[in-house]
Amino acid sequence: MSLFQSEEMTLCQLFLQSEAAYHCVSELGELGLAQFRDLNPDVNAFQRKFVNEVRRCDEMERKLRYLEKEIKKDGIPMLDLGENPDAPLPREMIDLEATFEKLENELREVNQNAEALKKNYLDLTELRHILRKTQVFFDEREGDDGQSQAPAEIRTIQEATFSAPIAPGMNAPPQLGFVAGVILRERLPAFERLLWRTCRGLVYLRQAEIETPLEDPSSGDQVYKSVFVIFFQGDQLKTRVKKICEGFRATLYPCPETPAERREMSIGVMTRIEDLNTVLSQTQDHRHRVLVSAAKQIKNWFIKARKIKAIYHTLNLFNLDVTEKCLISECWIPVADIENIQMAMRRGTERTGSTVPPILNRMQTTQDPPTYHRLNKFTRGFQNLVDAYGIASYREVNPAPYTIITFPFLFAIMFGDAGHALLMLLFGAWMVIKESSLLKMKSKNEIWNIFFGGRYIILLMGIFSFYTGLIYNDVFSKSINIFGSYWYVNRTQAYLQEPDVKEVMLDPKTSFYDYPYPVGLDPVWQVATNKIAYLNGYKMKISIIHGVVHMIFGVVLSLWNHVYFRRPINIFCEFIPQLIFMLFLFLYLCILVFHKWIYYGARMVEGRYNEHCAPSILITFINMVLFKGADKTEPPCNNYMFTGQEILQKFLVLAALLCVPWMLFIKPFILRSQHNKKMLLEGKVHQTGGDDLESGETNGIATEDTNASTAPVPATNGGQTAAPSSAGGGAHGGGHGHGEEEFEFSEIFIHQAIHTIEYVLGSVSHTASYLRLWALSLAHAQLSEVLWSMVLRIGLAQKAWWGGILLWAIFGAWAVLTVSILVLMEGLSAFLHTLRLHWVEFQSKFYTGQGYQFTPFSFKDMLAAADGLDAAD
Amino acid sequence: MKGCMFNIDNGYLEGLCRGFKTGILTQNDYLNLVQCETLEDLKLHLAGTDYGNFLANEPSPIAVSTLDEKLREKVVHEFQHMRNCAVEPLSTFLDYITYSYMIDNIVLLITGSLHQRPLQELLPKCHPLGSFEQMEAIHIATTPAELYNAVLVDTPLAPFFQDCISEADLDEMNTELIRNTLYKAYLESFYDFCKELGGETADVMCEILAFEADRRALIITINSFDTELSKEDRARLFPRCGKLHPDGLAALARADDYEQVRSVAEYYAEYQVLFANAGQNTEEKTLEDRFFEYEVKLNVHAFLRQFHFGVFYSYLKLKEQECRNVVWIAECVAQRHRAKIDNYIPIL
Repeated sequence: MSLFQSEEMTLCQLFLQSEAAYHCVSELGELGLAQFRDLNPDVNAFQRKFVNEVRRCDEMERKLRYLEKEIKKDGIPMLDLGENPDAPLPREMIDLEATFEKLENELREVNQNAEALKKNYLDLTELRHILRKTQVFFDEREGDDGQSQAPAEIRTIQEATFSAPIAPGMNAPPQLGFVAGVILRERLPAFERLLWRTCRGLVYLRQAEIETPLEDPSSGDQVYKSVFVIFFQGDQLKTRVKKICEGFRATLYPCPETPAERREMSIGVMTRIEDLNTVLSQTQDHRHRVLVSAAKQIKNWFIKARKIKAIYHTLNLFNLDVTEKCLISECWIPVADIENIQMAMRRGTERTGSTVPPILNRMQTTQDPPTYHRLNKFTRGFQNLVDAYGIASYREVNPAPYTIITFPFLFAIMFGDAGHALLMLLFGAWMVIKESSLLKMKSKNEIWNIFFGGRYIILLMGIFSFYTGLIYNDVFSKSINIFGSYWYVNRTQAYLQEPDVKEVMLDPKTSFYDYPYPVGLDPVWQVATNKIAYLNGYKMKISIIHGVVHMIFGVVLSLWNHVYFRRPINIFCEFIPQLIFMLFLFLYLCILVFHKWIYYGARMVEGRYNEHCAPSILITFINMVLFKGADKTEPPCNNYMFTGQEILQKFLVLAALLCVPWMLFIKPFILRSQHNKKMLLEGKVHQTGGDDLESGETNGIATEDTNASTAPVPATNGGQTAAPSSAGGGAHGGGHGHGEEEFEFSEIFIHQAIHTIEYVLGSVSHTASYLRLWALSLAHAQLSEVLWSMVLRIGLAQKAWWGGILLWAIFGAWAVLTVSILVLMEGLSAFLHTLRLHWVEFQSKFYTGQGYQFTPFSFKDMLAAADGLDAAD
Repeated sequence: MKGCMFNIDNGYLEGLCRGFKTGILTQNDYLNLVQCETLEDLKLHLAGTDYGNFLANEPSPIAVSTLDEKLREKVVHEFQHMRNCAVEPLSTFLDYITYSYMIDNIVLLITGSLHQRPLQELLPKCHPLGSFEQMEAIHIATTPAELYNAVLVDTPLAPFFQDCISEADLDEMNTELIRNTLYKAYLESFYDFCKELGGETADVMCEILAFEADRRALIITINSFDTELSKEDRARLFPRCGKLHPDGLAALARADDYEQVRSVAEYYAEYQVLFANAGQNTEEKTLEDRFFEYEVKLNVHAFLRQFHFGVFYSYLKLKEQECRNVVWIAECVAQRHRAKIDNYIPIL
């Protein structure tokens, strides 16, 4: 039953034959029950034995990532069958490597080809655009100067700039040249400015945008470009312009000067583009085929590569023995699973065909073992709640199993509304029913994963809240009248119809059937004006009752710890006074509550139990603690609730107060006397008392701790459980000087004082803290009532025909607010308060939570973690 | 109050920067790196540090140049992230930091084109932090005046360039002059800017920049012996914002050999230590290394104070030093030249 207490663990030494080690670790990884310790913490990562193998795995993973990237780029779905292939044999690793190598090379080649082709294609497209766009420039000019068939630009710069009409024949210096090219659109302004500046305005630039984005062959991005033509004069300018173009990564293309040539060229370009297109599509097809075949296997390959890597990582933690024949490892394993682990190792050896069986040795150790709870999908959520506070110390009582019920129940006290609870319940039930299909989705949405991880908590919270909702008789802030109210109005119709009668007081003596509504609150309270006052009294009292019971349960659980760890001193000096303190003060308070509920009433025959005589429990309790007599009351009421109350109360308070010094003083003094005795014994052995001061330093508190940690060890050995606890401490102790001891004693004393004060003050404040159950419940009820009366009622109150439409809209608003504020926000708030009540008020009574989690070497966890990393990338 | 006002705009970035700083390799990491047998080992170890998997997607075997590139890429990425989040006046401050890289890039490109190297070969060598739009068109210029008018006039470097506009041809000597004049103008301007910012920033940054200025002055002087650089020209290259200004600089301007430089440095406590027993022989650390060490010390000290911009500058400089260290170790490992592998500058 590792849910109540963490699993018994043992440190084992494994001797694995070198050849068999890989398979054994692989089997253990599938099993996931052993946590390996690093036996060479001082060795660098790159100086370990299997670092080359790890590196090869890294390389494989890199290739796979490359493949995956390419597959994703093409949008090919990757098959995930949820298969779990075994870790391949070391010799298969070479095959895998070869396969990946081949695929990667093939893909790189294809990509290179494709890139070259695309580059080509881009050049041609750009050239086509140039030809098309420049045609416009040239046409303009030709339009301008009529019949001029002269090649290229024969205009002076000024003329061009102002596009002034040119007189025919004025086609001045014929050596005016031009270059045409394509440039990224965002670089154009700077380009133009630089051109103008360096060439002193002696060039003329025309540009036109290419509307369609072009694909950049190396990155695959879509980029916008512009076509430009630069006209200039002279060779010097030409080199300069070309240099600038180069500087701005503009690509220049040859552009023939005559329109006829241009036309010819553009036809040529068109045909080449078509040719290229067919080649390109063939290349793409090939690439696609390669990728599709890879996509089928890639998940499997990833798993295989990761498994191999994990195995070698684990092997790196091992020690090599002197003969290099076998590997030695140390690992924590649950005692109950030793058989399984031995089986797994045997399987591993069989797979290698080795005859030498692996050896498993149990080791004695003083180290704290890890904490391991065997969990299923239902208990995991609750254990997580506890672990978030602190991992249980080894073999300490685990609060999780009790949390399974108390958590949803305390939540429900605050969230008591059957309507809202139904929504929560349906949501939780949906997640639980659709569990397997939702699990497969592997959503990366963090918020969703939180909800989904807590699906059983949500379901239970829904069920419990539905129940408390029925008890509170609250459904969306309204009551349901199933059985009919047990109150009746004993007034005449005529009286009720009088205009000045707004409300009627119902006297329980005359208008109550004298037996309660079968389930929960009588619906008549819904319309009562003193509903809040009535509910407050009721809810406050049940809050305290539940709180006190919860805390007493926590204190009782600490007994289990003390018994298990064999700390009798703690039972007598801590547990008993703590329990007495709690019972005599706070349980008595609860008993008074029940007494008042049962004995006082409107129809009580005895006068002193008349409804007017019911005392205030709070005042009674305060008076009791202050040793004041009860407040005076008029006959027939009695000052006291029962005879002998005063004496009893005085006794209870005195007994409870006596517990404080009991808790405070006795334990430190007992420890001191034990210690002195030990010192005497040691002194006889050692004669000189000052040689090992250091070991004595920690002795005082350590006595208890060593008892705690050594106790489970004999327990694992079966028979020796009766070993006296003092033996553990005695073996540890040493002599020490007098001054040291005084100092140490004060440490223990202060420690004890802190604990005592914490407990005594804590039990008062913790009891008060449980009032949050009432406060949140009140807030929730009030909020939902406000929402009903301020929002939905507006819609319901309309009498005209359009009221229906209005109601439709208002219902929407009401529903949204209900879900978002009342279910989600209020639910979260109640959840957090419940969490606090468990962590602080409940667990502080017994839980230390100083352990560390058992993290076995498991392929499953490793793969899940790797998947999570992928998602983060 | 100061912290409150500072944190409104820069608290996040300062925190981020300090976070980045904790990722700087420790002495322990260096000890491990030095033990590496191959670059693969180095890669494996770096994967365990803050660098993480920055080399994971590089096919083996990796080259030192790839390593260098990736190291730098990471720093640049971090710096640019901070620059993108920065607001005035931090953004100007960060821009100022990048100007020094721009100067280096310009000089690199000019020298490259003087030696007829193709642009494609030079561009990857430029520091990405110092790249600017017109950078690639630098090689059209043949004189400093042209360089200024055509290329640099639009860049933030323009004001620094005014001292070196001349019609002389760009040759090797001139390029060096341009670099140093630009640097001088840049340092002085940066110094003034930090002064203007005032407060902690001024305290921290002026200290660092003053050292930078002095280092340049000293190194220029030492390097100028036996060259055609005249003493007047040399004096004009000294940045005038360091502690050497004005007396030390005047003395440096008169110096004729290394001994005289050393005697100038004797007057200044900080530099005396650096020159003392900085042997010329190979056994001991070179003067350059000592300067680096001192710079690292100043930069580490910048992190001891809060609410100032110096951390950004210091972070970048420390990270640069770290890149140099890792590359140095990687070179030593790659060339199997282990004798000098310990000559990196530890960042404490």
